[in-house]
Amino acid sequence: MPPSETLVAGPATAAVRGIAQMAMFAALVAVLGQPFAIPVVAGVPITLQTLGVMLAGAILGPWRGAGAMVLLHALVVAGLPLLAQGSGGLGVYAGPTAGFALGWIPAALVVGALTQWRWPLAWWRTALGVALGGIGVIYACGIPVMAYQLGLTLPQATAATAAFLPGDLAKAVIAVLITHALVKAYPAPFSWARRRGAPAR
Amino acid sequence: MLHRTGVGVKFLLVFLLALGVSLQRENPWAILGAWALVVLGHLLAGTGVSGLLRRLWGLRWILLILTVPQLIFLEPQVALLNVSRVVAVIMVAGLFTLTTRTSDILEGFDRALAPLAKLGVDTSRISLALSLTIRSVPVILAFSGQIREALRARGRRVTPKALIMPLLVMSLRHAEETAEALAARGVR
Repeated sequence: MPPSETLVAGPATAAVRGIAQMAMFAALVAVLGQPFAIPVVAGVPITLQTLGVMLAGAILGPWRGAGAMVLLHALVVAGLPLLAQGSGGLGVYAGPTAGFALGWIPAALVVGALTQWRWPLAWWRTALGVALGGIGVIYACGIPVMAYQLGLTLPQATAATAAFLPGDLAKAVIAVLITHALVKAYPAPFSWARRRGAPAR
Repeated sequence: MLHRTGVGVKFLLVFLLALGVSLQRENPWAILGAWALVVLGHLLAGTGVSGLLRRLWGLRWILLILTVPQLIFLEPQVALLNVSRVVAVIMVAGLFTLTTRTSDILEGFDRALAPLAKLGVDTSRISLALSLTIRSVPVILAFSGQIREALRARGRRVTPKALIMPLLVMSLRHAEETAEALAARGVR
């Protein structure tokens, strides 16, 4: 009898591996927002979720990174308490911070595209990607929504957001360090960069 | 009644209401109407006044982020109007979440995505990804618990960096194992 193709379980396809990785990172960002799981400054609503967003893009690449963020938002819309301090549900998208949260999707895309532009990764590209995507894109999405909701002008809303900048810069530094430590210890997930290969000479 | 209305209809109603109130931003009657709806909705949903107050308490950080910059830049009356409008819209949207089971909303996604199947998108993969994510949250929580215990046992402080590096490796390995398990069951 010839071997039936449907009965032979080969190695996982790229699509299935991608789904598992996106699901894992969506869950990771959710866990990073829960204060009982991750130590943060007591009582202050600063979480490590944006660090998770930066890492999702940097490690999984642009499409899987953004896909993980879409998964997370779909589950938040469905009512699961996966954002900072267990907030979730449709109310999140009516609040003043909606733009920041939705900005995670393009943010992961930008971080991933810049970080994994070439293989091997370069420090300066990762730093640029994390700063532009993980801070720039998120603020660019968040500040206009916040300004509209609060009835402030854009400069006023920007000034109000500046309080979060030191924390976000610290997270960006940690994201770069972790990405480059991980790429040495466990390079398998960085498949987008490896497929793109080295620059043409 | 609120619990039994279709997911799609309810979602659309909440969306239009939120949009309407956000566009009628200078109109105090729209804000008052939204608050009346919030109170009525919570009473109909059976949470009572205590449930309503508990949900407001849950919004305390949003309230802080909302109020402080406004008091710096705007007149107190304008700030009060803005804050009450935004909180009302958040509470209206919260009514959708309060009165709809998560599983029903996920089913709603499936139905809304069904037309994509005609375009050649494999919608079963989207459902698989969503349920894998839900399943992964407790797995990652358990990982982070293990790592914290291991760090404490060695007398090390639990800092974000010491925690996240092993958490990433464990999570990515778990994703690989999950992918292999799915492949072994014929998912490709």
